[in-house]
Amino acid sequence: MQAYAAKLIDLIESKSENISKQWAADVMTHSRTPSYHFLPKEMVIEQGIDFYKLFRRMSLAENPYEEAKTFSWKYAEDLYRKKIPLQEAIYALMLMRRHLWLYAEFQGTFFTAVEIQQAVESLNRTILMFDYVSYQVTDKYHDLTVVNVGKKLHAVEALMLKGCIGGEKNIFKVGLMTLLVAVALILTYYCHSILGTGVVFTHLFYIPIVLASICCGRKGIFVAIFLGAMILISHAIFLRGVPYTEDIVRAAMFVVVGGIVGWLMEDVRKVKELFDNF
Amino acid sequence: MAVALYAFKKGDTMMKAFAAKLVDLTQKNAEAIARQWAKDVKTNEKTYSYHEAPEEKIIRQAKDFYKNFQMMFFNESPYEQAKEIFEKYAEEKYKEGVPLHETLYALILMRRHMWLYAEFQSLFSVEVEHRQAVESLSRTILMFDYIMYVVTRQYWKMLKLEGLAKRNTQ
Repeated sequence: MQAYAAKLIDLIESKSENISKQWAADVMTHSRTPSYHFLPKEMVIEQGIDFYKLFRRMSLAENPYEEAKTFSWKYAEDLYRKKIPLQEAIYALMLMRRHLWLYAEFQGTFFTAVEIQQAVESLNRTILMFDYVSYQVTDKYHDLTVVNVGKKLHAVEALMLKGCIGGEKNIFKVGLMTLLVAVALILTYYCHSILGTGVVFTHLFYIPIVLASICCGRKGIFVAIFLGAMILISHAIFLRGVPYTEDIVRAAMFVVVGGIVGWLMEDVRKVKELFDNF
Repeated sequence: MAVALYAFKKGDTMMKAFAAKLVDLTQKNAEAIARQWAKDVKTNEKTYSYHEAPEEKIIRQAKDFYKNFQMMFFNESPYEQAKEIFEKYAEEKYKEGVPLHETLYALILMRRHMWLYAEFQSLFSVEVEHRQAVESLSRTILMFDYIMYVVTRQYWKMLKLEGLAKRNTQ
């Protein structure tokens, strides 16, 4: 341990709880750290004690930068989980450092000429420690944000059928839609012309309608319009004498469902684009 | 000494004179300090985004920074001044695509190079000057605390604004 900083280190270690309490009282009322105002006081004090204990560990460590990570990463993870904005987390660290110095000043730790020289060295030491911690906390926040966004993006992509909307797989998309619409055509012909009924089979049309809206967004409504029109035309050809009412309602529902899903999926696409910024 | 952790009080001219020594030296030698900083930031592993940046461009940025820093240092409301100047600085860095932790570390290096230059010039060598050194250092740290807070807050604001702008253009 370097002799010049020993005095400050001893003070910090023996009085870490007192300094932490003063810091907690400040950070929990400070206008630049509003998110701290509602955190449990004991938890905040604990954070302060952890920070002040780090000072000796860093002084003893062969690699102080690596040692700082033991505090910084935990600090960043805890605050990120509690949704504390980064600027407040950084400002809270600044207040920790400031309270350390205020306490040392209050105790008259550095008074004589030699002590003032020690003060300069100690001040440099605390600044270096803070520099490491603030860099590591910011870096960790960035990493946590990327991981978090990655998870959300994955969920959004799953909802969009792995990039179906605006994706590159146009051939797959068109092929699948063509196949499903062709099946719908055959089914309509079979049920209307051979079985002479229009009841149950139309529910199956919601599969291509919903898929088209997921894959093509608002443009997917054209599939719903096409299938609705097909039902009505087929009805006119094969079900003469049967009232149109039910098929008109069915066709209208196709368009409504296709439109709503397409509209919602456009919003999902916007969310994905926001996440893509990271 | 802790007084310098907070703002200068009106009429506290003695302390102002003490702390001014470091800033005056920085201002007079802004070019030399900026060049040393640029050399550091272009090779430091924590400021990767600066490695490919044109040297003259980042030197100019650092010189502007030191000039603005002097203005802020002597301002009676340094925090307000920091907001005015460094929100714009944060926006520029954000638009250049520099990650926040690298921008902050580059600022830390700016402060370190100010201090290294002063040490190299033996600015605070005799006994009385050590007290001045503490005052200068405390005031400088306070200014940098404000700058780092403003820059961090502006980065997050920019991120949100970009998101909103994208939504509105859809």
